[in-house]
Amino acid sequence: MSNNNNDKPITATKFMKEFHRYQKGSISRRQFLGVTGLGTAMAVMATAMPALLPRTAFAGELGDRLVFSTWPNYHDQANVDQFTKATGVNVHINAFGSNEEMLAKLQAGGTGWDVFVPTNYTIEEYVKLDLIQELDLSKLPNYDAGSNDPKFAGPATVNGKVYAVPKNWGTTGFIVNSKKITSGPKSWKDFFDVTMNAGSGHTILHDYQLTTIGAALCALGHSFNSIDAKELAAAEALLIESKPHLFAITSDYQPGMRSGDGWMSICWNGDATQLKRDIPEMEYVVATDGGEIWTDFYCIPKGAPHLEAAYAFINNFQDPAVQVSDAQVHGYAPTDARALALQPKSLSTDPILHPAAELMSGLEFGAAQTLTDPIRAEVMASFKSA
Amino acid sequence: MKEQSKSNRWLTAVLLTPTGLWFAFMLVLPLIVILVFSFGERAPVGGYAGGFTLEHYANLGARLKAFTNTLTYAPVGTLLSLLVAYPLAYYLAIKVNRRYKLILLVLVIVPFWTSLLIRTYAWIYILGGKGLPSILDWIGFEGVRLINTPGAVLMGIVYGYLPLMVFPIYVSLEKLNKSYLEASSDLGASPYKTFMQVTLPLSMPGVATGCMLVFILLMGEFLIPAFLGGGKVFFIGNALVDLFLQSRNWPFGSAISITLVVIMLITVSLYMRMTMRNSKTGVDESLM
Repeated sequence: MSNNNNDKPITATKFMKEFHRYQKGSISRRQFLGVTGLGTAMAVMATAMPALLPRTAFAGELGDRLVFSTWPNYHDQANVDQFTKATGVNVHINAFGSNEEMLAKLQAGGTGWDVFVPTNYTIEEYVKLDLIQELDLSKLPNYDAGSNDPKFAGPATVNGKVYAVPKNWGTTGFIVNSKKITSGPKSWKDFFDVTMNAGSGHTILHDYQLTTIGAALCALGHSFNSIDAKELAAAEALLIESKPHLFAITSDYQPGMRSGDGWMSICWNGDATQLKRDIPEMEYVVATDGGEIWTDFYCIPKGAPHLEAAYAFINNFQDPAVQVSDAQVHGYAPTDARALALQPKSLSTDPILHPAAELMSGLEFGAAQTLTDPIRAEVMASFKSA
Repeated sequence: MKEQSKSNRWLTAVLLTPTGLWFAFMLVLPLIVILVFSFGERAPVGGYAGGFTLEHYANLGARLKAFTNTLTYAPVGTLLSLLVAYPLAYYLAIKVNRRYKLILLVLVIVPFWTSLLIRTYAWIYILGGKGLPSILDWIGFEGVRLINTPGAVLMGIVYGYLPLMVFPIYVSLEKLNKSYLEASSDLGASPYKTFMQVTLPLSMPGVATGCMLVFILLMGEFLIPAFLGGGKVFFIGNALVDLFLQSRNWPFGSAISITLVVIMLITVSLYMRMTMRNSKTGVDESLM
């Protein structure tokens, strides 16, 4: 291993330096917590001890609580805290690593969720299964349908009714620690080649059927969304062949990449921005042989216990200024033209947020049938148990 | 007298009712549901749809690796826990100064006050690249990988289950009449012989209880392999989490659960028969 500082745990001086930067306001609280590792510790402690949640005296008609299910590293905690301060609603956050996991929870019932964040390809199925509510747009004055590109916002409308409002859009490619892997992989084919050769033991795949099976399918020259039994069997064989060379199978891959154990991982572009911010040698690659382009949405499940708080929460995050400040932390681009116009140059010219058009031409939106396809489900499960 | 025994019986029935109801609703009923599910079909969108089929039992081979992994790691993990716990329990029960005994016992319990999830999460950082390996790197052992290996999973198991093994053994050693040990050495037995022929047989009930507790819980473990094995060391518990919470194949998951229950019933009853016979002969030898 090299002798650079990234391989060592944080030192006392570095900790104090980061702490002073935080005090001066030159880094956000979230960055401070992320860099020092205190964030993870606190997140784990807070959910284990709900009694420690601050109690607000002015809990109004919105209630004092909201259960929000989303993805890892997808929010600026400062904005969530700001919402709590303004409304008295404490936000309890659950992080999930796949849409299938969210669907399983909702199908089993009794989740107690108020707001959750599904991806484009799942919404139609949620409507069919009667698991999400039609949204009352009069309660979301900050949402402007006209300023959202229909390419991204389209899946929110099913049978002429609006069930969701967009959160962010992004791409699924891979991240490479260019100090450890110098061959510059460009495609999913390269990704699996490197995994089974020079990078053996250091690759992370998602614990998520869509992206992991999709990556293998692309590497074999098939569609990211294939549900063809033969193509899926080939993808399963490739995944199982690569399994002994993996570092981990997890959708929460930032810790593994930050610790230096992981050299390469399937990656959402916002995570790439977050990783590169702290570790410059992290390079994000939109694969030349395909991959995913996606939109995530805010949805309200049927029977959400804190409905008014849910609307207030979604409305708060539709505010263009809040969208921009969130994007500056999590690194995912808004779909809202009002927010795009507001974003600083550092975001609007960042190729990780806004890849070149020719790179995006090969990307596919996830297809609805992949969510419930029994073969894809079993391919993923048997790859993991192999 | 007669009156009283009648009211006693009535009282017993009243006192047992909550337990009985609890067992019926929390144990028997769910087991029946799982049994019924295991013969059903996977609904097109996942979950359970009625029907009767044996295909899920026929398909158990698809999770063979999970079964063999669990049936290897559980006994090995139990044995390792025993090897680590016995000396500790022995020290606490027999060797340590009375004044420190309580403090040391509390120290064994204290970690239990924090959730296993959090403690296991801490190990991710200790075993990860910036933890122990970076110290090893510094003293000259380069590129050592600890996290996401079978060794890390076994270490997590021993760490997580140690108190469950220590306490039963501690209790049986604590009850041991120390004059037996004196008698043994008075009669010329070496410390080794005393341990093998007096101490160990008399502590067998504690060993058996501890092993049983750890083994049974390990058969259903999923957290430690998922966190410290990076999802690469796959137990039956992980297969179940996957089938219920990701691929939503409830019938197949139910069939695996029922199979696991049957395997447990067989191994545990074999184990009990074995240890009961052993401890009986042990007691006979040491007391006769």
